[in-house]
Amino acid sequence: MAYEPPVTDYDEIVENGTCAFCGCNCDDLDFLVKDGHVVGVRHACRLGASKVMEDMDQRLLVPMIRDENGELQEVDWDTALDKAAELIANAVRPIFYGWSETSIETMKHGIRLGELVGAVLDNQATICHGPSLQAVQNVGYPVATLGEIKNRADMIVYTGSNPMNSHPRHLSRYSTFPRGWFRQRGRFDRTLVTMDPKYSDTAKMSDIWIGFEQNGDYGFYNAIRAALRGKEIDQDFVSGIPKEDIMELAEAMKNVQFGALYFGLGLTHTLSKQRNIDMAIEMLADLNKYTKWVLTPMRGHFNVNGFNIFMAYEMGFPYGVDFCRGYPRYMNGETNTIDLLTRKECDVFMVIAADPGAHYPGGAVKHLAEIPVIQVDIHWGPSTEIADVVLPGSFIGVECAGTSYRMDGVPIHMKKAVDKPETCRDDEWIIRELHERVQKIKAEEAAVASK
Amino acid sequence: MTYIEKPVVPKVVKLEEPTATEREVLNMMLNTGSDIYQGACKKRGSTCKDEYRKVCGVAYMDPKDMARLGVSNWDTVKVTTDWGEVIVSAVHSRDAPHEGTIFIPKGPWANVITSHETYCCCDPTYKGIYCTVETSDEEVLLMADLMRAVYKKYVVDEETIPELESLGEMPVYKKK
Ligand code: SF4
Repeated sequence: MAYEPPVTDYDEIVENGTCAFCGCNCDDLDFLVKDGHVVGVRHACRLGASKVMEDMDQRLLVPMIRDENGELQEVDWDTALDKAAELIANAVRPIFYGWSETSIETMKHGIRLGELVGAVLDNQATICHGPSLQAVQNVGYPVATLGEIKNRADMIVYTGSNPMNSHPRHLSRYSTFPRGWFRQRGRFDRTLVTMDPKYSDTAKMSDIWIGFEQNGDYGFYNAIRAALRGKEIDQDFVSGIPKEDIMELAEAMKNVQFGALYFGLGLTHTLSKQRNIDMAIEMLADLNKYTKWVLTPMRGHFNVNGFNIFMAYEMGFPYGVDFCRGYPRYMNGETNTIDLLTRKECDVFMVIAADPGAHYPGGAVKHLAEIPVIQVDIHWGPSTEIADVVLPGSFIGVECAGTSYRMDGVPIHMKKAVDKPETCRDDEWIIRELHERVQKIKAEEAAVASK
Repeated sequence: MTYIEKPVVPKVVKLEEPTATEREVLNMMLNTGSDIYQGACKKRGSTCKDEYRKVCGVAYMDPKDMARLGVSNWDTVKVTTDWGEVIVSAVHSRDAPHEGTIFIPKGPWANVITSHETYCCCDPTYKGIYCTVETSDEEVLLMADLMRAVYKKYVVDEETIPELESLGEMPVYKKK
C-alpha cells in the first residue's frame, strides 16, 4: 500500500470531535479543517476517517423529485417538502425507517410525525440486533459500560463479531489493548477469545479461536452450559469442536476475575436468531455463579442504540413501533419493516439516514420499487436510485451537533466542526417542517369534512 | 489510506490437489456481512463508483474452491440461491481456509440473493444460505445499473434493460 504523507496544510484543528460511524462513538478525534472542509482526521480508524472525509461527488446537495420520465429533477425546498408532506398525509400504512445515523433531537420530531399519521417507526435494529433486543426481553441483560470492562476485564470474548473489520478501534480503545485500573499491563493481562466459524481478522490476533460450524452457535453454547453445570457431554464433537476443548474453555471462563462477552450479527443473522442470544445470555447467567461476566451487543451505527433507548423510554418498545391504532404497539413479525414490506402492506416509505436499497434483502426492496419512497440522507446511494423525493440532510457530528448513544448506552454529545453546504438543511429541521406541513394538510381535511 | 482501487487479495496458487477435481457448479454456503473495505467505501458515499463494485460485488472464496471451478482472482462468477442470482467477481479470501463457504460483503449485490425470510423474528436471514457458484462471462454491474436491472422501478420497457446505456459512476439528475 502506498505511503501517504501526513496532512500539514490546514487552517485549524477542531479537537474532541466524535466519530459518526460505528457504535464505539470514539469521541477523541481531531478534525483538520481547511476552507470549511475536513481535510484530515486524527485518531480515527480507517472507517471513521473515510466517513468524515466524505466523497463530495456523491453528496446530496439539492432537493429532488422524480418527474414523469422517472428522472430525478432538482426542485426548491418548498416544492420537495410539500410533495413529501402530501405523500405522508395521504398514506394508509406509512413506514418511517432509519434514524440510526441521525440525532436523538431529530427522532423527537419523528415520533410526533409518526403519531400524527399513524406510521410505523423502525430502525436498523430490525435488520441487525433486533433479535438481541428480543433476547434481552426474554432473559435479561447483565450490562457494563465499556469503561468498566476496560478497567476490570481479564477475559474478552467476541462471538459472531469481527471488530477488526466493523469496529476497528474497539479492541484498542475499550477492550483488549488499553491499560485499565486493575489491568496495568493492558494486553498482557487479558485473554482474547474469538468464536466465529470464519478465521476472521479478529480471530487471527486472538489467543484462542473457536471455529465452530456454520449455524453451530446454539449447540456450542449449550455444550458450554452443560460443562459449566458439571454435566458429562456425551458426544465427542459438538458443532465441530472436540469435547475436551469445550471442557477446557468452560473451565477457563469460570476461573477469570471479570469476563466480558461481545456479540455481533453472526448470532442474530443465522437460523436460530434470538434463541442464540438467549443461550449466550443464559451461559453468562451460569458463569455468574462462579465469577463476574457481562455482555454487550456490538451495535453497528453510532446511534442505533440511541433510537432503541429513546423509543423504549418514550413509547415502551425499542423498535418496530406501530402507531396505526393511535397508540404504540409492537409485535415481532408483524410491525417490523421487513415483514411489512414482504407482505406488501406499506404504501409510503420514508427513509431517514439509512440505506435500505443496499442493505435490505431483495425480496423487501422489490416492494419499495412499487411504492413512493422519500429519502432524507447525505449521500447519493442505492436508495436514491429507488427514491421519488430526495431531501438532502446534514452530517451529524461534523456539520451539526446532536446526541447519540454508544453501544453500552452512554449518551454522547456530538459537536459541530464545520458548516454544512448552503443548500442542505439539518435533519431536525426537515422532519419538523414535514410535521408542520402534514399537520396543515390534516387540519384542512378536517375543516372540509366538518362542513 | 482511505481510497483504494480494489481490495488487496492474496494471489491464487493453483494447488495440485488430488481431491480438487474440476467442477462446473459448486454447491456452497453463502455468508454476507460487513467488511472493512465495504464499510469505508459505503460510508464515504462512493457507492456509484467502480470502487464500490470492487469491494461489494465480490465473492471471497477459498483457493481450493477457486481451483475446482477454474477461476482466478477477479474472474466473474454467477451465484444463485432460492431468492435470485447475481454476477460477482471471485477473489481469494484472506480468511481462508473455509472450503464450502463464500463470503459476499453486504451491499446491493449480496442482497439480490439473501433471504428475506424473518421467521417472525424481524431479522432477515443474511447468513448461512445455500447457493451454487458457477463461472460466467457476464460483467459485474455498477451499482446504479444493478439497481435498475434488478428492481426496474423506473424502467418503461423491461425487455430493453440489457441494451440501455450505463448510468455511470456519477449521480444522474436534471439540474435546475
Ligand atoms: S472505531 Fe468506530 S467510532 Fe471509532 S473511529 Fe473507528 S469507526 Fe469511528
